[in-house]
Amino acid sequence: MAMGMAELGFPYWNPLRRRFPPDSPFFASGNVERELLAKQVALDFTEDEINNLQIIVETESRRISCPIVGCPERLKSLDNFEDHYKARHTASCSVCSRVYPTSRLLSIHISEAHDSFFQAKVARGYDMYECLVEGCGLKFKNYKARHRHLVDKHKFPTTFEFFKRTQLSKKRREKLQKQRVPKLKHEEDKEEASSDAMEVEDKASLDGLVSALSTLTTSDTTPSNVSFGRRHGRGLTFVPRSVHREKPTNSSSTPGPKT
Amino acid sequence: MADDGSASNRRDPIKSSVGNVAGQRRRQQAVTVAKERRESLVRAKRLCRVGTNGGDDEDAFVENEMMIDEEQPVLEAQTVKAVEELKSAVQSQGKGVMQKRVTALRELRRLLSKSEFPPIDAALSAGAIPLLVQCLSFGSPDEQLLESAWCLTNIAAGKPEETKALLPALPLLVAHLGEKSSAPVAEQCAWAIGNVAGEGEELRNVLLSQGALPPLARMIFPDKGSTVRTAAWALSNLIKGPESKAAAQLVRVDGIVDAILRHLKKTDEEIATEIAWIVVYLSALSDIATSMLLKGGILQLLVERLATSDSLQLLIPVLRSLGNFVSVDPKAMLTILVGGQNTEENIINVLAKCLRSEHRVLKKEAAWVLSNIAAGSIEHKRMIHSSEAMPLLLRLLSTSPFDIKKEVAYVLGNLCVESAEGGDARPRIIQEHLVSIVSGGCLRGFIDLVRSPDIEAARLGLQFIELVLRGMPNGEGSKLVEGEDGIDAMERFQFHENEELRVMANSLVDKYFGEDYGIDE
Repeated sequence: MAMGMAELGFPYWNPLRRRFPPDSPFFASGNVERELLAKQVALDFTEDEINNLQIIVETESRRISCPIVGCPERLKSLDNFEDHYKARHTASCSVCSRVYPTSRLLSIHISEAHDSFFQAKVARGYDMYECLVEGCGLKFKNYKARHRHLVDKHKFPTTFEFFKRTQLSKKRREKLQKQRVPKLKHEEDKEEASSDAMEVEDKASLDGLVSALSTLTTSDTTPSNVSFGRRHGRGLTFVPRSVHREKPTNSSSTPGPKT
Repeated sequence: MADDGSASNRRDPIKSSVGNVAGQRRRQQAVTVAKERRESLVRAKRLCRVGTNGGDDEDAFVENEMMIDEEQPVLEAQTVKAVEELKSAVQSQGKGVMQKRVTALRELRRLLSKSEFPPIDAALSAGAIPLLVQCLSFGSPDEQLLESAWCLTNIAAGKPEETKALLPALPLLVAHLGEKSSAPVAEQCAWAIGNVAGEGEELRNVLLSQGALPPLARMIFPDKGSTVRTAAWALSNLIKGPESKAAAQLVRVDGIVDAILRHLKKTDEEIATEIAWIVVYLSALSDIATSMLLKGGILQLLVERLATSDSLQLLIPVLRSLGNFVSVDPKAMLTILVGGQNTEENIINVLAKCLRSEHRVLKKEAAWVLSNIAAGSIEHKRMIHSSEAMPLLLRLLSTSPFDIKKEVAYVLGNLCVESAEGGDARPRIIQEHLVSIVSGGCLRGFIDLVRSPDIEAARLGLQFIELVLRGMPNGEGSKLVEGEDGIDAMERFQFHENEELRVMANSLVDKYFGEDYGIDE
């Protein structure tokens, strides 16, 4: 396992001395302080005024770019950034409580993960998997093809996964099942290792109706019942059954529910 | 810089009742002042409000009437008039012409010193510079030289293009730095030069090529006096780089290192402050200066100043100098240290004092210095780990603003890892330190860093999480990370634009929270 990490090229913590040139932004706040203090006496500022000025000067020059793919926002402060992130990038699925960075991606998720009509159309051969990039408009027959498109056309890295793939053993899933507390927001949850394949696999344990339509599909992806508040936010780790089939790794260990 | 020494003329009780309301308004305005004006406050230039020879009584009275912005147009009109007067005074001949010139200069100087934002542009447009240059000619009486240099000083304290307007005056200003000039004249010229040097690299290069450095350097040899202070400040502006040639030239001046060490040891805080800034730049830009200063025992002097002073003005450059010295190869540093003085421990204690300070800059830069020491030998790490700095660091990681937090993170992480020797070896974890630091409650702080939009901070957080996952005994790491919402934080990277971070986060989650997680409970 240790080898595995090294192969992945994880940049381990290595203590290094850090030296900065005198005009480095690292020293900017000290430089500003120097000048403000020097002028303090002449202009009769109080210490509070100096502090305020210092903060204004610094934050004006240092805007924070939101690091989420495709978001153009530049925020004035860390607090603003946190507010922005919560407001814009935590669109949460009311079905499975998973969280997405934009409402568009959320709605794509809902279609692909919770909509039996979607699965029905997929089964009938329609191109249902939309390209994730706004404005592109292309659609694909399956998850993998879309992924290939994202990589080829939009230069997404191959590691970029809309649906992250990990498997849990049945034992683990059952344990988590019992321990799970219903919640809507994903922050509170502590359980989660990766509850991914769970959604699909635990069909048997889901309450509610099984939509008639789901029995019509040949793909057994659909957790077609709606169960509110059961999940907590691993929206990004869900893998539809159709993906399991296509990717050779890992899928064999998970028993799939057959209708 | 502006009001050194003569404290008496600053807050005269007679004027304060009138000045109070105005003063309040001024303060309010100053704080909410527009961006352009804020810029003037953080420039490395300084207005001269009180003359270098203390000013006479008449001056003192007028000086303290600081004007408010609405009166600007009036001020400008008066300035134009003053320049006209000066022009006629310069052109005239005959009896009393000296006095006329001084009077005209003085009037212009007052207009340029009173207001918070002096009418520099008006003066320039009216053609002040050529006149002022003429007034600097050799053989002119001291008073004339003084007033002229004073006007030039304040013109140079303005915007970049205003400072550049002084170019024609520079050779004469440099010339009057010589030892034959009277002290106030030399000081005022140094001040003007300091403002020009503070503008930018281009002007610094011009000054250097005109030979400004050696005479300025010699002005700091005396033990005390406002001249030493002004010259030291001007010198610090001149050598600040980022090119190193000025610093290299300075260190070649005979006796300069001794003068610097002498001032750091004994002098009053105001002079020591400006000298410390010189040391900041020398230690950043000149290897020769660095080793000469180290050999001369500067570390001990810096430590003493840090231990005994409460002046933020002084502490900032002293701390930064220390940081610059430490960031040079610490092994080399250690061999030069004077033996038997426990300097290393003293350094750590004095840095702890800075961590306790309420000032952000001190906390941040002290943490930076500690992080470099912690990147050294195992002995250094142990020294920090067992010092009074530890509880401070742990507390700061949870409570301090972001930029301080980041530096503290570097310290704590560096304490837990041996510096890697070989090229591809995975650096070894010092488990004892890791365990104690984690049980000190630092994990939450690191996970906060993972959530931050700052790439460097997020990277640090992920690297530390890896240490915890790998290095905590009995595989406790995973539980601990999970317990602090670490998995959640790592999954944020799914849609992060930075690929390296995405891969890092994914690989950690895959490896430590994969399908086998929690199975063997």
